[in-house]
Amino acid sequence: MVLGIIIGYFCFLLGLGIFGSRLLKLTSGDYFLASRGIGPFMLLMSIFGTTMTAFALVGSTGATYKLGIGIYGKMASWSGIVHSAVFFLIGAKVWAIGKEHGYMTQLSYLRDRYQSNSLPLVLFPILVGFVTVYILMGVMGGGAFLEALLGKDVEGTPNMPKWLGMLTICGVVMFYVFWGGMRATAWANTIQTLVFMGTGVVAFYVITKGAGGVDSFFEAASKATDAVANSDASNRMTRARIGKGEFATYFLIPLSVGMFPHLFQHWLTAKKASNFKLTVIAHPVCILITWLPCCLIGMWAAGILPAETPSNAVLAIMVKRFSSSEVLRGILGAGVLAAIMSSMDSQFLCISSMFTNDIVVPHCGKDKYSEKQRVWMGRIFVVIVVAACYIIGLISNKSVFKIGVWCFSGFSSLVPIVVAALYWKRSNRQGVIASAVSVAVLWLGGLAFVFSDTLTEQVFGGKFLIAGLHPVTALISVSTVVLIAVTLMTSPPDEGLVEKFFGAQDSESE
Amino acid sequence: MKWLILILILALSILHHDVWWWTSEERIMGFIPIGLAWHAFISIAASAVWALAVFTCWPDELDKRFEEPASTTAESGSEGE
Repeated sequence: MVLGIIIGYFCFLLGLGIFGSRLLKLTSGDYFLASRGIGPFMLLMSIFGTTMTAFALVGSTGATYKLGIGIYGKMASWSGIVHSAVFFLIGAKVWAIGKEHGYMTQLSYLRDRYQSNSLPLVLFPILVGFVTVYILMGVMGGGAFLEALLGKDVEGTPNMPKWLGMLTICGVVMFYVFWGGMRATAWANTIQTLVFMGTGVVAFYVITKGAGGVDSFFEAASKATDAVANSDASNRMTRARIGKGEFATYFLIPLSVGMFPHLFQHWLTAKKASNFKLTVIAHPVCILITWLPCCLIGMWAAGILPAETPSNAVLAIMVKRFSSSEVLRGILGAGVLAAIMSSMDSQFLCISSMFTNDIVVPHCGKDKYSEKQRVWMGRIFVVIVVAACYIIGLISNKSVFKIGVWCFSGFSSLVPIVVAALYWKRSNRQGVIASAVSVAVLWLGGLAFVFSDTLTEQVFGGKFLIAGLHPVTALISVSTVVLIAVTLMTSPPDEGLVEKFFGAQDSESE
Repeated sequence: MKWLILILILALSILHHDVWWWTSEERIMGFIPIGLAWHAFISIAASAVWALAVFTCWPDELDKRFEEPASTTAESGSEGE
């Protein structure tokens, strides 16, 4: 029954892709940006759905189970403050510039802003590398969740082994993105965001009552918390396992939304800049609705589950253990998968558009390939990236939370580039390229510590922290200093270029 | 008003670092640890601060830039895009 409901949900998404393809005008503007016609509610749902991924559900529950309730403060409440600031100060401004100059991707804006064909060639592999890790997080989180949720047969063989779960999720998302483009993606994001928020509330109610073992919701919640307080895991109710410096420097992680190429593309889909207003206001509350139940479930799991339960499987185990009805279990499972897939679709579409618009067109010319051929090239590139994620996902069992935080650290470290592009007239391509290269080198170096606990233990004596602070602090400091120093040491940009991006705005504001 | 918003955001960021409840197991409503409840409040407060920012400091010129040519086109009898 559980499997049947999940398959039914997958079929619904496939249908959405086919429906989207009927509405699709086969132009790249419609395929990649839904003809810049998205309203406030769909913009909120697609932006929120895109930023909430396996990290927010599977990752937050597992991380709270391991480290305690401080995970909410580290990620969710910081994100409420920082994400909205980014949408306000970067998103709306990027939308206006994108509409004025007809940009379809982040790289097309940066290429034009700095009059540099080398800049996209430097940034493209870096951004694709970071997005690949982001996709990997979704693929691994989804596969692990499905395997744990669907359990094992009488012989002990998983009903949905991880490899099959990962393959199915990738296949379904690729189908509706390829056939429906941005329009289907925006619709799928809106529906999936409503599904995962709705089922999240139901899951929380059901798990709370199950974990507490009584009918009254508040009494059950209190009993579940009592169980944690009276167990060896009572420190999960506090931040005893999290350092104060680490906690404070986590505000740099949510800055990453400023450089997510897939979010950048969603910003460009808005019909008006004022459509961002709802997103800026409602985003912190939407995060609260999603993260608070997950963190409570993770905390309660610490008082119920054995100490060595794999963190990526905690949410699925709690859903399975405490929702007695198979129908409900299937619906809740579909809700979690909705959250995971609502990010992967945007990421697939974004790397496809970056490859097509920023690599193929500038280097092969606009006339060499037809619009249809270019769209197909983008799709083939996505298949290659997803295949790489799939293979890595098969051999890795790292925590989704750990991988996610390092992925976000990379994006955050590139944020000085977009801030300089929007607000610093003097910034030039040499500074931006040097900054991007410094981020790539440091991030790749750090990746070794994310994937090897032994190496982290040897070098840092425990957690991957530098002087008690999260390493993103060092990455952002280095990228900012390099950007400023190299810019000031090299010649300023042409006056015409500055006039193009700042002149009109200055005269309007006067 | 921009300064007030900035001060409120700085205040939220300082209040976010609630060292005073770091290891407290005190609970709100019988089941939410106080450290978690405080951060849930920070999320709601962030939403309120951003609402104030949107209603008082929104850059309306971003949309106006595109409205002007549209109205000119409409005056000349064309519907535009």
